[in-house]
Amino acid sequence: MKRISLLLFAALLLLPLPAFAADLFIAQAANFMPAMKEIIPMFEAKTGLSVEATYTSTGKLYGQITNGAPFDLFLAADEKRPAKLFADGQSEEPFVYAKGQVVLWSMNPELCKGSWQDAVQAETTRKLAIANTETAPYGTSAMKALQAAGLWDSAQPKLVFGQSIAQAFQFASTGAADAGFCAYSSVFTEEGGKGCFLAVPEAPEVIQAACVLKSAPHPDAAAEFVKFLGTPEVAAVKAKYGYK
Amino acid sequence: MDWTPLLLSAKLALLTTLLIPVAAAPLAYVLAFFRFPGKSVLDAFVTLPMVLPPTVLGFGLLIIFGPQACLGGAWEGLFGERLVFSFAGVLIASLIFNLPFAVQPMRASFEKLDSRLLESSAILGLSRTAAFFRVVLPNCLGGLAAASILVFAHSLGEFGVILMVGGSIPGETKVASIAIFEAVEALRYEDAFRMSALLVPVSFVVLLIINKINARKP
Repeated sequence: MKRISLLLFAALLLLPLPAFAADLFIAQAANFMPAMKEIIPMFEAKTGLSVEATYTSTGKLYGQITNGAPFDLFLAADEKRPAKLFADGQSEEPFVYAKGQVVLWSMNPELCKGSWQDAVQAETTRKLAIANTETAPYGTSAMKALQAAGLWDSAQPKLVFGQSIAQAFQFASTGAADAGFCAYSSVFTEEGGKGCFLAVPEAPEVIQAACVLKSAPHPDAAAEFVKFLGTPEVAAVKAKYGYK
Repeated sequence: MDWTPLLLSAKLALLTTLLIPVAAAPLAYVLAFFRFPGKSVLDAFVTLPMVLPPTVLGFGLLIIFGPQACLGGAWEGLFGERLVFSFAGVLIASLIFNLPFAVQPMRASFEKLDSRLLESSAILGLSRTAAFFRVVLPNCLGGLAAASILVFAHSLGEFGVILMVGGSIPGETKVASIAIFEAVEALRYEDAFRMSALLVPVSFVVLLIINKINARKP
């Protein structure tokens, strides 16, 4: 028995982990994940290259990159961080790959009957999820919309802060918060389809920039992917998820 | 710099430490001295929060503390306040999360207790409850202290569970670990460093105290 478990343990150590074998490593801001899950297989089918993507908040990815994480390409949720990498000589020149929009999402269809301002002020909206206004670009955009509508101060007691736009959606979609400012793209996910949403035109467009890293272990594959991002096929996927 | 997150962490750690014996001591007592069917199931259930990734536990609590679930709904009906995203919610999460960290050292010290003491107290007519308060507890103070300090240190540094159920509300659920995480993400390394610089020596001193207690022979 002991020998069998030892053998099993040794076999576990020998298991090949495919994550280490990709031809291209992408650091991807979480909000773009639904679109990326379609873009990557298209790219892999077209080029035969394998792609590995890490999805988390832009701030965390930026921290990993500045500390030497071996990514090839950084697709951020803002313009600020790629610009900073470029200014610090750590990346090639950034380019815009998508423009996103903030929506107000809720599990409760009643809330979507009026305007988003009504929904924010509604008695039944006791907790309102928003992404961190300092680190998450979608949070900053949502804050600007609330300020423009003159609701920022009165909404304070209702606000709960997610670390990323993905967490703001998580708070709203689990019903823990009554509504939440989310990325338009999340509406197109399976969970997003279970609720309703309202457009927030006062929220400035979130301009998402990308850059190839100077330290990229696979610069050729990265260049190939950048080229692919400009194709009509990708434009169609982006449009499908509400990006421009 | 804003000191509220550090004070909030201290408040959370203190309240968790004060409240946890209420749940942990009876459980440790039962696990140490009683034999019954399903004991190993209870043991595994109590230890579960120690093994589960905090994110898994946090996600589970986010759902059951939410207004749609029976616990979260009942709480909101009773107190008119939402359990999730509140200090009360974070405190309950912290108690659940810390339970095994209190039960294990307590149980170990109960089991080390000289069985002759309990036998004589039974012969002298003490009930099991009375024996617990008058014989077991006074003889296991070291284990209790170790458990309390471990729980205190642990709740001071708690991150994953609070991240999930807290919602980072200043003065309510934005504890030190969350504030440090946010400061790093916002590239405010200076703030992150100052808060960490205070947490590291506190945690270090706490560990020194645990070592002192453990080294003391009963």
